[in-house]
Amino acid sequence: MPHRENTLEAESTTADLANGDGGGHTPPPSPARRRRSRGLGWAGRLEVLILVGPAMVVFLAFVIFPVLMAAYYGFFSWGGYGPATEFIGIRNYVNILTDPAFIEALGHNGFIVIFSLVLQGPVAILLALLLNRRMRGQSLIRVLIFVPYVIAEVVVGTGWSLLLQTNGAVNGLLDKLGLEALKQDWLSNPDIAIWTLMVIITWKYVGFAVILFLAGLQGIPEELYEAAAIDGASYWQMQRQITLPLLAPTLRIWAFLSIIGALQLFDLVYIIWGQYVAATAGTSTMATYMVATGRNAGNFGYGNAVAVVLFVISLIVALIYQRFVLRRDTAGALTEGKR
Amino acid sequence: MPLNEEKQVNHMKRSQILVGSAALAIGALVLSGCSGGGSGGDDGDVTMTLWHNSTTGPGQEFWDTTAADFEADNPGVKIEVQTVQNEDLDGKLQTALNSGDAPDIFLQRGGGKMAEMVKAGQLKDLTGALEGAATDEIPETAYQASSIDGKIYALPVAVLPGGLFYSQDLFDEAGITSNPTTIEEFDGTIDQLKAAGIAPIALGAKDAWPAAHWYYWFALRECSTETLQSAADDLDFSDDCWIKAGEDLQELAALEPFNNGFLTTSAQQGAGSSAGLIANHQAGMELMGAWNPGVIAGLTPDKAPLPDLAWFPFPEVPGGAGEPGAIMGGVDGYSCSVDAPDACVDFLNYLGTAEVQTNYYKAFNAPPVNTVAQEAVTEPYLQQILEAYNAAPYASQWLDTSYGQNVGNALNVAVVDMLAGNGSPEDIVKAVNDAAKRA
Amino acid sequence: MMATLAPTVRRPAGRPARRPARSRGAANRARGNPGVWFVALVVIALMLGPVIYIIIGGFRTNSEITVDPAGFPVVWHIDNYLDVLTGGVFWRQVLNSTIVAVATSVGAVTLGLMASYVLARYTFRGRGVLYALFAAGLMFPLTVAITPLYIMVRNLGLMNSLGGIILPQIAFALPVTIIILVPFLKAIPDEIQEAAFIDGCSRLGFFWRMVVRLSMPGVITTGILAFIGSWNAYLLPLFILNNDAMFTLPLGVQSFSSQYSVDTAKVMAFTALSMLPALLFFSIFERRIVGGLTGAVKG
Repeated sequence: MPHRENTLEAESTTADLANGDGGGHTPPPSPARRRRSRGLGWAGRLEVLILVGPAMVVFLAFVIFPVLMAAYYGFFSWGGYGPATEFIGIRNYVNILTDPAFIEALGHNGFIVIFSLVLQGPVAILLALLLNRRMRGQSLIRVLIFVPYVIAEVVVGTGWSLLLQTNGAVNGLLDKLGLEALKQDWLSNPDIAIWTLMVIITWKYVGFAVILFLAGLQGIPEELYEAAAIDGASYWQMQRQITLPLLAPTLRIWAFLSIIGALQLFDLVYIIWGQYVAATAGTSTMATYMVATGRNAGNFGYGNAVAVVLFVISLIVALIYQRFVLRRDTAGALTEGKR
Repeated sequence: MPLNEEKQVNHMKRSQILVGSAALAIGALVLSGCSGGGSGGDDGDVTMTLWHNSTTGPGQEFWDTTAADFEADNPGVKIEVQTVQNEDLDGKLQTALNSGDAPDIFLQRGGGKMAEMVKAGQLKDLTGALEGAATDEIPETAYQASSIDGKIYALPVAVLPGGLFYSQDLFDEAGITSNPTTIEEFDGTIDQLKAAGIAPIALGAKDAWPAAHWYYWFALRECSTETLQSAADDLDFSDDCWIKAGEDLQELAALEPFNNGFLTTSAQQGAGSSAGLIANHQAGMELMGAWNPGVIAGLTPDKAPLPDLAWFPFPEVPGGAGEPGAIMGGVDGYSCSVDAPDACVDFLNYLGTAEVQTNYYKAFNAPPVNTVAQEAVTEPYLQQILEAYNAAPYASQWLDTSYGQNVGNALNVAVVDMLAGNGSPEDIVKAVNDAAKRA
Repeated sequence: MMATLAPTVRRPAGRPARRPARSRGAANRARGNPGVWFVALVVIALMLGPVIYIIIGGFRTNSEITVDPAGFPVVWHIDNYLDVLTGGVFWRQVLNSTIVAVATSVGAVTLGLMASYVLARYTFRGRGVLYALFAAGLMFPLTVAITPLYIMVRNLGLMNSLGGIILPQIAFALPVTIIILVPFLKAIPDEIQEAAFIDGCSRLGFFWRMVVRLSMPGVITTGILAFIGSWNAYLLPLFILNNDAMFTLPLGVQSFSSQYSVDTAKVMAFTALSMLPALLFFSIFERRIVGGLTGAVKG
């Protein structure tokens, strides 16, 4: 059987970000490459236009353009009403980067990024493996695990607030069970609050990870497991040797989305902690900082500047991620990227 | 190994050209959009939009009825009433104002936001246009909050002064016979409540401003009127009284008078809020504005107003430079957008009449500004509030409203930090100065 | 030609794939392994705890929740749920939300799939830039972009219409959709594509006929994500919709928050009910996540 090269490598040379796929194993390139044409003919270009066009138009109009406009305001001191007239150059950006509150928020985001991956990844993989088998109630359980993701964040926040308030349901329950000693200030104690946040985030988003992994698991053929079973591999060996490597592309995509999401985290923190206590409790994020010092303080120019900083940080992280994680064979790849 | 990445230069150029021209086209489309303002024609048939923030019950009914009555009295005028939830109103209004889509009549809370709107020329100048009951029966002091540089930009409809709302039943239980008038007596009241096992003060510090209100009241007592004024005008917080106010609050906090977990208790967000604590007799008193009775009513076991609710004004601080009896409160008003038709002003005048004001009071259980309507107020605590307000030598707006959002927000955060043990009175002043840099 | 799936795995050449007889050590076939069940149950309990709290909260009054947060309803007040269900507003909002969500997911998946196909299987200069552009759309918070977006919608004459919600939501769903679909499309082995071309299929034809089916797990997943995202979207509808009749479900929560207060119990009842359509949609489609590449290429 001719050795199949991984198509994932075949296109790995064009600009870095295009390879949002993950290389998987890297076989030596074989001469039998699939290359239909050298570049695209007119027909090809037309096809590209037809296929990408609609998405491009919608995207430019409703995402890119507003983003650019919003970024423009970051160079102004603007009270939010009427046109922006007070141009102040980069003063906003200087203030942001020297504000200890922002640096603190940035640190919190870093913490959240790392622990989101650490906590959600393994749990979601195990759950996906569990739900991939045919078993009774498989569909039902899938639905149930996905429920937290379905609930609007506003309500998640309200519900969890009521649960975790110092005089809320969790402490109330501990009281009833006679476990008063375990009662904590889940939300306002700076030592605990960030872990509380991690639990809530995991609760909400593990469903998202599971559904992605489930989709990824579909691409792994049964025969591999069967062949390995014949060879006498144990369950966990099979997972390690077969599942993980083949799930890796999906894992990498999930991690990318998770990282970006963690950097942008806003709704949960804002609704459960409120914009003020977030900083005191040590759970402020860059986005809550943005709203607290921008929109809520009437400094819209400043707020927009924070949004731009948040964007740039996300972009840098994304580029680093793409370069080091999403492309495993780097030969020749980096040079094509930059223009 | 790299494949046929033939540099099709035409290729790249084509994609870029496509992207570029799409952006240009869209840009042109947007920029060509004209901002329409106002609504309604000028040949007698006028349609106006009204935005208010009462999404439920009597409040919503009030606006629908009032609009209908006005339409009946003014044939050819139509008012479309739109409710926007309180938290969302500011954002939605701001966007609408900026895009030229503004509603004609809308809720105006004054302060820094109103100043920005005036600066951007988005509000109609009402000076001299208000007449009738609006000028005769609504006192000057009420207009202070609605004016900038002597020009009036909103009609005040309700005044919502602050003070201590308390539960008479709980006070009786604790053996408190007379309400405290000075801060020492207040401390004594706290001790009595604690001795009776009652949480003395409900505080919704999660929203920050309830905590900050304590600071503002102490500042009102410690700082002279001139100091407060110069703080509003120049954002000058160098006077010692600001530090003293912080120290007063720290002393109060040292008595541990607040409910357990006050840092995570919201002020008004339904169950589990500080208002909810009062409504269910879980705390003795709350420092809050005059809207509180309505909030509390929705949270009692039978969803009726709390029968034993009572009120006393913030205690005096002997030795403070503030005028005794000075009071602080918010003023709700309604503005016309700059392009609104003249019927808008007529509507505002209509809002100011005693009859409509009385209806307003009944719907919202809030003190009306119209002095004739005030006579219709029956609840004892509201009467007390109005009495204190009308007798006050100096009535200030909430300080965070007066000083603008930027400083106000910073003050709110700094006070919470101090109460959480993370800051000092000096830090409060520092936070204000830091905030000024970000403006 | 015998096309097995592409991914590289160390498989000894020459060993045909065949169904083995009942294999021993078939741990991965264990159904009803009690340990597994236990774990599943614990996980589900943890996941659902807060949700059940919300559902039960809808049966209580605000006062009860304040006084005894962790308690069960003393009397099961069904009026909160009844009020929501019988007020005509709820159903109209469900309809609006459904229209918007379905249109958003169909639009996002269609446009996203087309774009992903290009990004995954064509090569041309500027492809990387294109991908980066879409990915960058993820990284800017919506709360800041809302004002210029509002202006754009207004200038297109889409104010206070569902279209003014649908189009921007499609745009915002595109980055995630494309990021997820591109690897799925890349994983389609070339052999299939070459086989199709040999049979005279054009690239577009290949797209229509085969790609969509082969990438079904990805398509379903992104469709579900787009649906949920649209179902819960609050900020955009808030700004664009002025007319109560056009409101979507999340905005419906507004009617339980008065000027100064929130009717928590009603909000919980409302939320519990608004979850249901989204869950229904999910449960209908999640079965379809299975399939896709498996079985598509045998022989």
